[in-house]
Amino acid sequence: MMSPPDSSIDAVFYGLDRKKIYCFKKIILLFNKTLLLLLRNIFRAKRNTFAFDFVHSLPLHNRRPDGNRAVFLMNSNQPTQHYDVIVIGAGATGAGTARDCAMRGLKVLLVERFDFTAGATGRNHGLLHSGARYAVTDRESAAECISENMILRKIARHCVEDTGGIFVTLPDDDLAYQATFVEACRDAGINAEIIDPAEARRIEPAVNPDIIGAVKVPDGAVDPFRLTTANAIAAQRNGAHIMTYHEVTAVNVAHQRVCGVTLRDQRTGVLRRIDADLVINAAGIWGHAICRMAGVNVNMFPAKGALLIFGHRVNNIVINRCRKPADADILVPGDTISLIGTTSSRVPYDQVDNMEVTPEEVDILLREGSRIAPALATTRILRAYAGVRPLVAADNDPSGRSISRGIVCLDHAVRDGLEGFITITGGKLMTYRLMAEWATDLACRKLGRNAQCRTATTPLPGSESADKDAPVSHGKHHIIELPTDHKAAQARHGSMTPDIGLDARNESLVCECEEVSVGEIRYAIRQLHANNLVNLRRRTRLGMGTCQGCLCASRAASILGNELNDRPHALRDLCNFLNERWKGMLPVAWGQTLVEAQFSSWLYQSVCGLEPDILPPSLGHTAETPTHPRQSSEASPND
Amino acid sequence: MEYQVKNISRDNFEQCIKCTICTVYCPVLSVNPLYPGPKQAGPDGERYRLKAPEFYDKALKMCLNCKRCEVACPSGVRIGDIIQNARIRYDRHPVSLRDRMLASTDEMGSLATKMAPVVNTMLRLKPVKAAMHLALGIDSHRTFPAYASRTFEAWMKSDAPDQTRFSRQISYFHGCYVNYNNPALGRDFVTLMNAIGYGVRLLDRERCCGVAKIANRLISQARRDADKNLGAIRAAVADGRPVLGTSSTCIFTMRDEYPHILGLDNADVRDSILLATRFIHQLVDAGNIRLVFRNDWKKRVAYHVPCHMQRMGWAVHSLELLKMIPGLELIPIEPGCCGISGTYGFKKENYSTSQAVGAELFDSIRSAGVDVVATDCETCKWQIEMSAGVPVANPVSILAEALDIEATRRANNL
Amino acid sequence: MKYDSIIIGGGLSGLTAGIRLASAGKKVAIITSGQSALHFSSGSMSLLNRIGRQIVDDPLTAVSDLPDGHPYHKIGVGNIQDLAAEAAMLLRHSGLNVEGSPSAHRFCLTPFGLWEPAWLTVKGIASCPDPKKCPWKKAAIVNFKGYLDFHPAYLADGLAKAGIDSEIHEIELPRLASLRKSCSEMRAASIARLLEGSAINDLAAAILRIKADADVILLPAVIGLRSDAAADLLASLVDTPVRYVPVIPMSVTGVRAEFLLRRRFESLGGTYCLGDSVSRGNFENGRLTSVFTANLGDTPLEADEFILATGSFFSQGLVAKPDAIVEPVFGLDVMQTPVRTERYSLDFFAPQPYMRFGVVTDSDLCVSRNGVTVPNLRAIGSILSGADSLHEGSGAGIALLSAIAAARKIQFA
Repeated sequence: MMSPPDSSIDAVFYGLDRKKIYCFKKIILLFNKTLLLLLRNIFRAKRNTFAFDFVHSLPLHNRRPDGNRAVFLMNSNQPTQHYDVIVIGAGATGAGTARDCAMRGLKVLLVERFDFTAGATGRNHGLLHSGARYAVTDRESAAECISENMILRKIARHCVEDTGGIFVTLPDDDLAYQATFVEACRDAGINAEIIDPAEARRIEPAVNPDIIGAVKVPDGAVDPFRLTTANAIAAQRNGAHIMTYHEVTAVNVAHQRVCGVTLRDQRTGVLRRIDADLVINAAGIWGHAICRMAGVNVNMFPAKGALLIFGHRVNNIVINRCRKPADADILVPGDTISLIGTTSSRVPYDQVDNMEVTPEEVDILLREGSRIAPALATTRILRAYAGVRPLVAADNDPSGRSISRGIVCLDHAVRDGLEGFITITGGKLMTYRLMAEWATDLACRKLGRNAQCRTATTPLPGSESADKDAPVSHGKHHIIELPTDHKAAQARHGSMTPDIGLDARNESLVCECEEVSVGEIRYAIRQLHANNLVNLRRRTRLGMGTCQGCLCASRAASILGNELNDRPHALRDLCNFLNERWKGMLPVAWGQTLVEAQFSSWLYQSVCGLEPDILPPSLGHTAETPTHPRQSSEASPND
Repeated sequence: MEYQVKNISRDNFEQCIKCTICTVYCPVLSVNPLYPGPKQAGPDGERYRLKAPEFYDKALKMCLNCKRCEVACPSGVRIGDIIQNARIRYDRHPVSLRDRMLASTDEMGSLATKMAPVVNTMLRLKPVKAAMHLALGIDSHRTFPAYASRTFEAWMKSDAPDQTRFSRQISYFHGCYVNYNNPALGRDFVTLMNAIGYGVRLLDRERCCGVAKIANRLISQARRDADKNLGAIRAAVADGRPVLGTSSTCIFTMRDEYPHILGLDNADVRDSILLATRFIHQLVDAGNIRLVFRNDWKKRVAYHVPCHMQRMGWAVHSLELLKMIPGLELIPIEPGCCGISGTYGFKKENYSTSQAVGAELFDSIRSAGVDVVATDCETCKWQIEMSAGVPVANPVSILAEALDIEATRRANNL
Repeated sequence: MKYDSIIIGGGLSGLTAGIRLASAGKKVAIITSGQSALHFSSGSMSLLNRIGRQIVDDPLTAVSDLPDGHPYHKIGVGNIQDLAAEAAMLLRHSGLNVEGSPSAHRFCLTPFGLWEPAWLTVKGIASCPDPKKCPWKKAAIVNFKGYLDFHPAYLADGLAKAGIDSEIHEIELPRLASLRKSCSEMRAASIARLLEGSAINDLAAAILRIKADADVILLPAVIGLRSDAAADLLASLVDTPVRYVPVIPMSVTGVRAEFLLRRRFESLGGTYCLGDSVSRGNFENGRLTSVFTANLGDTPLEADEFILATGSFFSQGLVAKPDAIVEPVFGLDVMQTPVRTERYSLDFFAPQPYMRFGVVTDSDLCVSRNGVTVPNLRAIGSILSGADSLHEGSGAGIALLSAIAAARKIQFA
């Protein structure tokens, strides 16, 4: 995730020492930045005037008059707005679609019932697929994956870790499959190289020492939270509006044409209509219900996938099992932890908001997982979670037996005779950008716009080149000198890190496990749409470490309440957050995980006296899950 | 389910539940907040270092390796070991000449004893100290312990009373300090053991235990020495001789740091590497021997628990033995680290930290009004003598001094 | 080594039993692996706060409403008053200045400005008999710059609900400047170590500079790791009463409590083995005769009577495995639910079945092993089964009272 040196600037300063070069660079870049900002503002002002844009393009951190942070970009008493496109769902696909639409000059609104990544995007492996996993069974998906893999490495450097991956054959697996696998990879354009099992053991000591075969592939890890946030920021920078915590209650249809949506403000309950020429349904499994609202039927089958998170990095290379895709055969190192997954089971649609990991699933994950990496059998498990992946039935098979594994982009005008409505679904986290491109291509065609997709070549915010990179990217020397929390923040926010404004005053750690400072928490609240602790977790890794919020939740809640000027909300949200953390710990609550939970209970219930029932009502902010933890929905894009 | 019966990670680091108890008991943190503290430096930092070695924080070198965090930890995390192992694994700075010199106790000792009077005088000269301070970074406040002109080993080989006449035999790990600086302690030990009917043998070519080399990241040298020591210890144990020492740090290093830091398996002989006071106390406790003390010996004594003694949990043995001396009045003092931590306190960048760590202990000792402070660690002795101005002796020396040798021999039918 | 009694576990209940037995002239050793959960005690101790969701009015009479098998029934509902009085006395004799009565709560201000009932509160902890009739009219809430574990605005909200005005001040002490250079070490105990002696004068000066017209000053409880001296000095320098609000995770008040109890135990001649853990015991004719520890290896520690005070899961007195809850030292019988999913409730704040788990004991608090009672091994404190001390608010009460009850049984056996 380090940027290459800016060669043109380096050439100018050839011969000067590193420090001086750095200073000069900073000055020049600062000058450039100012100029750009000036130009951008002039351009914006002009556009606002000419484009009759009466919704102010508010920066995310603007305060509302009552002191509450605006979590969405409009005031509810403003008149209804007309958009070219409304995108439903702020997972990776929705945010990516909003970005693509906005970059092609469409006037776009992104709506989300909770927070970014609250659905399937936030509940998967975080695997940067090479596509190898699909090479044998689904060549098309495999080819899409490797192509998107290479794109993400360029445009989302700060979200991607180039760990590499191996596919290992265990003694009771069929070694003959390896040849089929490698050939299929090569056909799909995936660089798969058979290596000696001894070499595999050398590069990844955590792998089962008994393996009889190994293939190296360009897998990696991708942080879906960062990726989606970066897409949302990019969309916004290109003029898109975003409304989180607004649930679609109706898709409005007039004359066989979708003309907008009705939204319910989750905080106030107020309903409002918003009109658009086109509505894009990117709501994942919940897209099923969105289609129903529009009066069309898309058969989606929720497939539940459970995963376990281990307390620290067990492996540094993605380990896959070289066999036909099955349970618990991918172990991904992601940031400070490792993840094993998944299981796969169909669940009834009415259960998608209420996923619980069963003891059987935990046992399967552990048993199979410790076959690829024996250390898993004795490594502390932080939590278990499950996501729901939308499997879409082929249109000619309503029974759902014939499932489309790839991207499904439906023009409901063609399919159902309903104009102004697109559903983009299926696919995987890996192919979110391609899904967005397809949906936007279709949208442009339908709106009669002619604009090229640039999302594959334009870096996302956080991965832009040199100008905003902190010194950390200029050589190892600096890395050693920086405190750990700076390094951790740099890894999370890439070139946006300087926006955090880390300085002595802001450096105290809120989250000690994941090295999240006060400054970073404030930055996320002020600039990244975070208005509760679950949001903050997604933006910063707060509470994702060993203690699962035991130490940091109170500190973060305290800051949150003060920042939003809504302390009752923060206290309720603190309860909610502790509940959300406990829900993931419960299926694996033994050993130190139970100790941690008991410790948390003592601190918060006994010493702090917290009890949700006795807390005053909040002043209007929304916790993601009002009383009981129920949000747990997403897809496991691995199978 | 047969999985997950126990979580095992290197140095138990994932047992940490982030309770922060260790931070209360870290002596460095209390005087130098630039040190990230045992929790951040240890288990918290380890997760990040496992992610990428760049997350290594050079401030970890401020750790004293006193292991008080491990003693305090309710979850059994080997915090001190995590930090030492991280320093060894991730610190890529070359080891300085000064650190190499300080760590080479054996080599320096054997050179210095050959011309002890000259060396001792030189090392006490102000200009020499100033030069060492500037050129090497060895703090000028410190005085090296004086070298003996004759090593303990030399005395054992030629002048010691015949040890073969005893039917029961032990091997003595004297350590560098007894050998080069304080052979008197070794002689006290021989006197004491002989009085209870044990003959004392040397190990076959003893090397430095390696504590200073470990602290200064000279790991391959430490491992080489440790290998030789373990070989010699195995030979002694095979011959039926347990290996006793009078330095808590040497014994701790050979028992615990060898497997935890150097990765050397000592399980076969670990139980036979013992501190002299533990060995003797066990014999007394089991009624196998008796100690008889002089009636005319009277002293006020405070016992200081060295950090590594605290970690081993053996202070009870030294204390119980001292309590047996009728003329000994045991004065309680505040427990705590003295701050020197071997070579740590000799480095000029650590001097102020070192003194600040020990300040509370020194005050406590000074106000206790004792004749002598007893402690099982030689570097604690230097530090307390220099900083509190009170003489310090090993419990073995105190026992030997207070012992009625003839009566003890008779009591043990010798 | 031979003792009259050996206590395994050096937390509140182990130390209490140790002090009680040592004062009766017994030779006692406490073996404890690491510092105890007392380090997180808020500075208030509860006897019984709630039955169900209802706050009880008079804990002394309410104890009889507790379900059968509750530790309070084992030690005898009729004995509670007497035991409680002795417990309070024992704490005071150890130098821990506590106040309160077992038949009426005091209410203590929590870190987020809520009020939590308590039986005993340590001197200086912000508390009053009834928040609605709190004598304070206006509070000055003072925090140290950069300290994150104290939440003045929330306290102000809580005080406002009780009709108390407040103003918030942040002070910056030169003595703490060095701490602020570290991003992680601005902790309660670190501050307490620096706020001793002359630093208290600086603190007093800073408080006086505020010139608050408040009738109480609220500070985070970050003063006095070893004694009340610093708080007493501050009180003598500032006219307005100073009260302390507990903080999480680490409690300076709790550290002090453990230090004082340990010192009391050692001054009575007790042997306190810190950082050691009992690995196994030797049983003969159904009695425990000796225990072995990690540090002392093959040296047996013999005693006539043993007490198990190893605590709940936090202190490793109980260990949860995927399939069972075990008592790891002796493999004692543990009251538990057999099915993993039934150990927990989904709501973090609801009573959790696992909290009630603990070792099975008879009416003398003697444990059982493979169904057979061990007559000289008693369990005390939170390792006892049958109480959800978190929801009941009975943790400290059970720890103290069961310790004294067990010590009496040993003394008069």
